[in-house]
Amino acid sequence: MAQAVAQTIHRDPALFYWILFPITVVMILTGILRHYATVLMQSTPKKLDAKAIREQRCLLRGINLRTNASVLSPQSFQARKAYFISSYHSGKFLKEPENKGKPPPNPMTDPAGMEAMMGMMKGNMAMMIPQTLIMSWINAFFSGFIIMKLPFPLTIRFKSMLQSGVATQDLDVRWVSSLSWYFLNLFGLQSVFTFILGDDNAANQMAQQMAQVNPAAAANLFQPGQDPDKVFQSEAENLEVLEHEWILEGVEDRLLEDLA
Amino acid sequence: MSSKYEKQEELQSKQDDASLASSADVCSYLMSSPLLHPPAYLSPSLALRISQQAPLLLQGSSSSFTLPFLSSGESPERWTAYEHLLLSCLRIGDDKSARLCLEKLGDRFGATNERVMGLKGMYQEAVADDNAALERILKEYEAILVEDPTNMPIAKRRIAVLRSMSQIEAAISALVKLLDMSPTDAEAWSELSDLYLSQGLYRQAIFSLEEVLLITPNAWNIHARMGELIFISSNASASADDVDVEKSLIDSMRWFCRSIELCDDYLRGYYGLKLIYFQTSNRLLLSQKYKNTSASDISGPDGTAQPSLTTIQRLNQQATAKLSEIVRKSSTGDKAWDGYAQAEVIAARELLGRDEQFAER
Repeated sequence: MAQAVAQTIHRDPALFYWILFPITVVMILTGILRHYATVLMQSTPKKLDAKAIREQRCLLRGINLRTNASVLSPQSFQARKAYFISSYHSGKFLKEPENKGKPPPNPMTDPAGMEAMMGMMKGNMAMMIPQTLIMSWINAFFSGFIIMKLPFPLTIRFKSMLQSGVATQDLDVRWVSSLSWYFLNLFGLQSVFTFILGDDNAANQMAQQMAQVNPAAAANLFQPGQDPDKVFQSEAENLEVLEHEWILEGVEDRLLEDLA
Repeated sequence: MSSKYEKQEELQSKQDDASLASSADVCSYLMSSPLLHPPAYLSPSLALRISQQAPLLLQGSSSSFTLPFLSSGESPERWTAYEHLLLSCLRIGDDKSARLCLEKLGDRFGATNERVMGLKGMYQEAVADDNAALERILKEYEAILVEDPTNMPIAKRRIAVLRSMSQIEAAISALVKLLDMSPTDAEAWSELSDLYLSQGLYRQAIFSLEEVLLITPNAWNIHARMGELIFISSNASASADDVDVEKSLIDSMRWFCRSIELCDDYLRGYYGLKLIYFQTSNRLLLSQKYKNTSASDISGPDGTAQPSLTTIQRLNQQATAKLSEIVRKSSTGDKAWDGYAQAEVIAARELLGRDEQFAER
């Protein structure tokens, strides 16, 4: 069987100037716009009040004691352990000691939870609205065009990726449709944005999606809707079962062995 | 003093000759200079050198809106450098340049930024010339704290002012209040420990230092400091039971050992070990239980194993060897050994001299 004749399609060069090029430019510009829009919309993290700070850091202190207990002598450790367990149980460190034992507030009505959700909404909106607009724009004006040919052969599996919007069975996979060019741009412009906007830009949608999984985790030890009292109780339990060993025990022999 | 710093200074003077006129030059200069280290760690001469260049560095204009590929843009280092420059200038007494640094930081981050507020307070304290002015600043701090009790930099400045006006009790109670709100602040705990020590409250000082260790479990300097604290407290309670003193000396030795275990070349650790040996050798030689036993370990009063006399002697030998190496190499200006503070090296030399006298006796 003779080699298959390479498909040739005569394209108007205007396709390049009026479709391929505009789509690319528009994609880059929206990326930059989105970056600055996100920067503008970012709300400064809300300051915690003194009680909330105390609640979180007292828990952190207990965790520190648990992880680094080995630096303490047995007497100091026992004294601290007893103090933490009793005060964790009594709810001494709680932001609102009178609320101990009550069910946690509904995250939907909790203002702190609402704020976090608003932040997430804003991020999502900045992503969704321009994407929807551009996609409908491309669909309305440029759908169904074959605009370029890739210089290398591809397997048939790429057909759905490269030729969306062009329902032609026999077309070679190397031809790229306008709608697919949009998708390629959407996912492939990351390095361009890094070049233009610097490393931690907000135009990079992958990074943004990752960040959305848990935006407040670093700032806030307690998830919204979580009962701090429960966290304190479980930390008290952790401390109770902790086995203590003093690292200074026999340090002089260790050191001599080390130096010798 | 140390050759490394001299090298840096030479380099800097060369850079001075080249013009620092354009802001890009200033930027790259800021990046490479020792300005990025906290100024407390710089030698006095180097700090002087840096602050003398302050007017030159501050001339560079800063534009707020730039694209990263057109210029180096704004980097965190730039602002760190300004902050450290401000501190160096205050240390030297160049209040005018300090004011400029402060204005730049204030323009960028806003006058209500907590850190800028803290730095501004520090500047005001530096230019205050009498106690009345300090009192006024203290009032200002208190007004800020009433409005926002979570403003840590201002709370700490207030404590520092109280301490400098030698109202130690007020400073301690303010620190305790601060630590009740934020008990994971290593800086505050160590300051509290220092304050307690200045009042002779050793147990409290040791407790505070233990809290620091819980936050930074691998800090060799804090371990050595703990050894020093226990040593000081055992000396102070001279009238106490001999067994008690002996036990705390052994404890102190262990803290020094741990600090050396964490950092091989830590001068203060070895210094402490040697000092402990002077104290213990007399005592332990006389002590009843060391007379009868040989190398095997002895049980202390609380059941923990006590180190044998030979262990202590061997530790002393190691410390002597290491200390004399440090003294020798850092006095000949060996490049790799010039990180030691001069005062510490002199103290170590003095201690070694005492050792020789001790041996002669």
